[in-house]
Amino acid sequence: MSTTTSTQVAPSTRRPLRYYQIGSHLFITVMLLLSLIPTYLLITWSFKNGLQYRWERWAISFPLRWRNYIAAWDIVGDYMINTIIVAIIGLMGMLLLSLIGGYVFARMDFPFRETLYYAIIALLMVPWVLSFIPAYMVYVRLGLLNNRLSMIIPELAGGPIFGIFLMRAFIAGIPEELFESARCDGAGVLDLIGRITLPLSLPGLATLAVLNFIGVWNSFLWPLVMIQDDEKQMIAVGLYKLARSATYGGVAGWTSQDFSVWGPLYAGYVIASLPLVLLFIVLGKFYVEGLVDSGLKV
Amino acid sequence: MTEGTGTPEQGSGANPINRIPARPGGLSTWQAMRRSWQAYVLLAPIFILLLVFNYYPPILGLLRAFYRWRPGVEASFVGLQHFGVYFTSPETPRELLNMFKLLAFFFFSGAVIPFIMAVLIFRIRDNESKELYRLFLIIPMLVPLIVVILLWKQIYDPNLGVINGLLEQFGLGFLARNWLGDTATALYAIMFMGFPWVSGVGTLIYLGGLGQISESIFDACEVDGCTGLRRTLKIDLPLVLGQVRLMTILAVIAGVTSFQTILVLTDGGPGFATMVPGLTMFHKAFRTQQFGYAASIGMILFVITFGATLAVNRTVQPAVEDVRH
Repeated sequence: MSTTTSTQVAPSTRRPLRYYQIGSHLFITVMLLLSLIPTYLLITWSFKNGLQYRWERWAISFPLRWRNYIAAWDIVGDYMINTIIVAIIGLMGMLLLSLIGGYVFARMDFPFRETLYYAIIALLMVPWVLSFIPAYMVYVRLGLLNNRLSMIIPELAGGPIFGIFLMRAFIAGIPEELFESARCDGAGVLDLIGRITLPLSLPGLATLAVLNFIGVWNSFLWPLVMIQDDEKQMIAVGLYKLARSATYGGVAGWTSQDFSVWGPLYAGYVIASLPLVLLFIVLGKFYVEGLVDSGLKV
Repeated sequence: MTEGTGTPEQGSGANPINRIPARPGGLSTWQAMRRSWQAYVLLAPIFILLLVFNYYPPILGLLRAFYRWRPGVEASFVGLQHFGVYFTSPETPRELLNMFKLLAFFFFSGAVIPFIMAVLIFRIRDNESKELYRLFLIIPMLVPLIVVILLWKQIYDPNLGVINGLLEQFGLGFLARNWLGDTATALYAIMFMGFPWVSGVGTLIYLGGLGQISESIFDACEVDGCTGLRRTLKIDLPLVLGQVRLMTILAVIAGVTSFQTILVLTDGGPGFATMVPGLTMFHKAFRTQQFGYAASIGMILFVITFGATLAVNRTVQPAVEDVRH
């Protein structure tokens, strides 16, 4: 008797749950597929020549035009290299300042520590719209217009604001005994930072690095107003200008009725996405944390 | 500010003080400062950079909002003139209305939809699918923002765009239009960009929040027969209110300040159909060299964001902490 009741009860409570699960799977899958459409189009278009782009908009066209990617590198390569150089120089400085700042605020005791800390953190609340225009004027006054330094400095000066916030919490979690025994061995502040804090706070630094790299890679309005020479331009603005000349004509003799420009342009978009993809493959966990932390960076 | 910024107090503010040996008694502040010179030396480069590039510009902006200001010319004080001009100019009501429409929509697409998606993914029992879904959420985020915007511009294109192409294929060619070039549809086309708005930081943040809720609460729920929509509203939502607040504030900030998408898609057009105050600020500064006027619009936007952020912080209060592990 008991077995029959249990078999009668079980399905009636489980069945709605089962349907619910299947429904969820379906719904989630449809939503995810829809959100992948632009990415799909981007990749398929990047392999098409003019005719294929004109007539086969949705399908993958064969043969794949790998040559688009060679043409694309010629037009986006310089922008990519510019951006990577700026990102790496800025990142190094930003990470160093964040590490030092994080250490000082987490591990040293000195008058006005909290006041100074909150003076830094308060800057997180200043929205960029307020400082965008005056920052432009300050940079112009300092002669940094059309200078690559104007791309590096915001990272170097602004990056540590969130960086110190993140690294302070991170470094505070390192056991004090490690520092104490090092101090007994006669280690100075720089040893404590370089030999103990640095190796133990690599995950925090990785998150910061990923977050800042994404920021530099996506920066658009600032290079748009600061950089005038095309050979110094950053990737986002470079792509914007290429898209404009593909639509209205301009660069490299492109005209709007020539459908063969689109394949290389989309290949350029794909190439421009590769550093982010690579970063995700290498530092996946930190990538997601960086994105989530960037949300916390209100 | 947000939940995230609350952590240093627990994470770093309290602990290190206990661990670091207390200052020897009877030391004056000045003596203590001299003794800890190393800390100040280490912080000096950071503060020099911050003073020049992060403190000075916003303060300068707040002051110069009351000046006529352009590069190479001595700034002259004009009082509240810029604000008077802005609030009486005929385009302003349209701009502000557009901004509030976008803001309301960003709340829906950035705070509501990701919550629904996160709850659905969170309740999937099969862990492998769960991981797979998370991965697929991230893939669209690996494409730079400018590429996403340019792709959507192409998708909307009146002649080459896939939307019109699809409509014609299904015999609905009469619906085809210049989505971004038509006054009636341009603003809605901008909102529609990114459909279905599930992939993005929001869903990941909500998933993180749901993951923090103690397992015992869900068990208790199940015993009490609290499932489905009721559980979503009574359990899930109150326990991720911190995340809801964060996403709402982000939506407000995006609505008020992010005009990059509009700049690329329509540049405020056709006419002034998609103009927003942020873009006006940009145009005034970099097309007509009215930097003081632009700074005053920046100040207005700052006040709006700040007020809205405070209002959201007041109204949305996260649940008590002891229900997490």
